[in-house]
Amino acid sequence: MRLFFSNLKKYKGYLKYAPVSILKTEVANTYLNWLWWFLEPLLFMLTYTFVASLIFNQSLPYFPLFVFIGLNTWNYFDRCVKRGVVMMRHYRGIVTKTYVPKYIFVIVQMALEGIKIAISYLLLIPMMFIWKVPLTWHILESIPLFLVLLILSFAGCSLMLHFGVFISDLEKTVSVVMRLIFYMSGVFYSISRNKTLSKNHPFAKTLLLKVNPISCIMDGLRRCILYGRSPDWLWIGIWAAVGLVFCGLGIHLIHKYEAGYAKIS
Amino acid sequence: MQDELNKVNASPENTQEIPSEGAENTSVAEEQLAEAIAEAEAEDSIIRRDAEPALIINDLHITYRTIQAQTIFKTIFKRGSQIKKFEAVKGVTFTVPKGEIVGLIGKNGSGKSTLLKAIANIFKPDSGSIDTCGHTVSLMAIGVGFQKDLSGKENIYLSGMLLGYTKEYVASRYDEIVEFSELGEFIDAPVATYSSGMYSKLAFSITAVLEADIILVDEVLSVGDINFKKKSFARLQEMISQEDKTVLIVSHNNDTIRNLCNRAIWIHNGNFIMDGEANAVVDAYEAYMEAEAEKKKLARKKEAEAIKA
Repeated sequence: MRLFFSNLKKYKGYLKYAPVSILKTEVANTYLNWLWWFLEPLLFMLTYTFVASLIFNQSLPYFPLFVFIGLNTWNYFDRCVKRGVVMMRHYRGIVTKTYVPKYIFVIVQMALEGIKIAISYLLLIPMMFIWKVPLTWHILESIPLFLVLLILSFAGCSLMLHFGVFISDLEKTVSVVMRLIFYMSGVFYSISRNKTLSKNHPFAKTLLLKVNPISCIMDGLRRCILYGRSPDWLWIGIWAAVGLVFCGLGIHLIHKYEAGYAKIS
Repeated sequence: MQDELNKVNASPENTQEIPSEGAENTSVAEEQLAEAIAEAEAEDSIIRRDAEPALIINDLHITYRTIQAQTIFKTIFKRGSQIKKFEAVKGVTFTVPKGEIVGLIGKNGSGKSTLLKAIANIFKPDSGSIDTCGHTVSLMAIGVGFQKDLSGKENIYLSGMLLGYTKEYVASRYDEIVEFSELGEFIDAPVATYSSGMYSKLAFSITAVLEADIILVDEVLSVGDINFKKKSFARLQEMISQEDKTVLIVSHNNDTIRNLCNRAIWIHNGNFIMDGEANAVVDAYEAYMEAEAEKKKLARKKEAEAIKA
């Protein structure tokens, strides 16, 4: 771990510069530039709200905001994990020409997506005023939840980076698995308030809500931002610990095998 | 050096490599090689052995595990089968004193570029050691490794920071890099829109301007048009004329090795064959390659005659 932190220090200039450069390029290639960072989550929020409330009869307090928080949280984790699978292919030009500790690319990706999610969350402030969401001190509890999201995203991205080098069809497999997790995470419906689940499948409900770390974080964020309640800290703590173990495993695997990544044919 | 050559030539691996490729014609090459080795030994005094070392390579072995990316099914049920090993560098040992310009020669696939990549820390050796004695190292290869969606300007900064320089230092050399690359206003265009020549010019310019203590040059002198080639060659000469710069050059152009280097190392199929004064080593290498070509010509002739018969 000492090597990990000394590398972070060594490449701090690159870590600051690269995400901003990539974002600038992304916006430069579109007509609406940075407006997409607001528009994309907003439009998806409207789409899922429409589908969930009209077709699936979902009606919860502050439902559009409920969807918005779910979508942003999911998008961050999903993009980091999926990008991890193809990361070495994407940076092949660099890794075959110069040495860079490969988790530096993981952190660049996380920072890049982090800037986007932060901008999206700015949109939540006026939306909370419009929907008259009461502000409580519980909103401060969202900070450790975001930290746990970062830990889990780093773990997922670094592990996928490693295994993505060796397994050619991991990209498609991960895509399917992530879609499955998306539908099971309660992005546009409430697992905790689902009466059918509570009545007929209480065990499945616990699995979906607690054993899935993303739905656990989403539920926590919604509780503290929208509903003035504390998250389930026991499960959040468990997932933080599990995430840290997997972060350590990801860093260990990258340190041990990264010299071979450039040799992959 | 005599000890080193004796040691290398006495090892079963090294004595097997060259004869395995020929029969009676190889003996001609061996004779020429022996003469050249003697000549190199005679001229060995030219090489600086007493100077402070900049790079110490000790018994270096590098094996490519050509891991074929494969399906999950195969990964689960045939674990380990995707890994094929190929030893690209087999126990190479040498020391480069500070300020020396060393050429690495050998035919394609002999392990020269692999060796440079290991020194640049891109590949980790399987065994043996590389000690850069606290010096900074940069590999000057075709294409530093750009992010193609980003502009040339962004890539200059990112490449510079990946090479370990601060943003401020890269900014201070930015104008020089742009001027040397001759890209003009294209520097603000995405690298994806560059021609291969423009791409290579930018790559060369970054590593040429952002100099390290140890410069590893891998076949970059064939970059760009005739004027840029001349300029690159002049720049390299300027860089290596500095007393404190240690340079390792890989080139298939033997004249480049003769003109730029004061010492050459011949590597063949991953084995260390010869180390000595540049002209002597290149002579031996050329003699061997000519004999090899002659042998192949004869083999083809015999084959044609056999078909006719």
